[in-house]
Amino acid sequence: MILTTAIGIMVMAGAVTQTDFDTLHSALQPTGEEVWRTIPWETSMLKAQARAAEERKPLFIWAMDGHPLGCT
Amino acid sequence: MLDRESSFSHPEIVALLKNDFVPVAIDQAYQRRQQDAEGRFYQKIANQGPRKVGDGGPTTQGHYIATPDGAFLDYSNHRDPDGLLEILRESLEQYEPTAVAQIEAGKPDLKFAYGPPEGGLVVRVHSRILGGYDETDDPMKRIFQKGTGRDNFWIRKDEHEALVRGELFESLITRMARFHFVDNTRGEPTMWEESEIVETDLSLEDGVLSGSIHLKIDSGKREYRADLLGFIDVTAGQISRFDLLAKGFFRGEGQYTRGAPEGEFPLAIAFTLADGSDIADAVPPQGSRGWLDGYIR
Repeated sequence: MILTTAIGIMVMAGAVTQTDFDTLHSALQPTGEEVWRTIPWETSMLKAQARAAEERKPLFIWAMDGHPLGCT
Repeated sequence: MLDRESSFSHPEIVALLKNDFVPVAIDQAYQRRQQDAEGRFYQKIANQGPRKVGDGGPTTQGHYIATPDGAFLDYSNHRDPDGLLEILRESLEQYEPTAVAQIEAGKPDLKFAYGPPEGGLVVRVHSRILGGYDETDDPMKRIFQKGTGRDNFWIRKDEHEALVRGELFESLITRMARFHFVDNTRGEPTMWEESEIVETDLSLEDGVLSGSIHLKIDSGKREYRADLLGFIDVTAGQISRFDLLAKGFFRGEGQYTRGAPEGEFPLAIAFTLADGSDIADAVPPQGSRGWLDGYIR
């Protein structure tokens, strides 16, 4: 089976070559340009509460099934 | 995934969250069950909203806005950025800042409050479908089609020490296969049962990790066959590089990952050692959720 993907990588059944590795492994890493990553998310309700109390700001809670910073 | 690419990429929402709110991201499956101050604070807020803890509903997921002492201000579970922007603005208008004490943490509920294994490793896992979707003009579908799944792979201290010696423990291979060779690009994946591991043929020689894996459910409706290549470096008795790529073909979908391409489609999964610089490095593996002992064994 051979497919050419949206990111221009030829995907073939068979062993992973060094070229596959170099191209795909880096292509799958975050670029650092994702806007949502620039938001200073806390991952603990209590740490967020402490910050909110100190800064006198309301809390915004992004509560999902599966961690929102992970697989959802 | 949708939130990340739509609402939390909206410039005005991002600016509000950065400047006027304290944003927190949680997997509510933990906090809604957690019997400690962390859990009780979340439950207090959720129980003032439409999805109450213990009302028989399967989830309390959504976007909540609350005061620092836990008074509910608003809730939304829509993926529409305009709707979220509206409740953020309205909540700010309602909110009256007052002096509030910090909640004492007290004794944590260790069933839910746990971190990576001491002396072990955290490895970032990213997955992406490389093709096979039908073309679409639907912007939400396009987000899913281009999405990258993210999880963390935890390695125990004894497995870490074995890697340093150039050995690959079976427990590490099994955990990686069951919980990380999954398609999590559209949501929470269905993990593999141990009996669904058809074959793992991996070797570690001179720092090169290579081989193949094959996972399949009995019906054959969900399957992943992939070849692997990776590189492991040791510096001063510690693993300093753990880079691995799985490239293969997946078939099927899970209960919460509907909408996979038809038939077989190419799925790549990349592993790389976490350095703690990413906020998501602290997130427990999805496969450990409610079952850390089962994950880490």
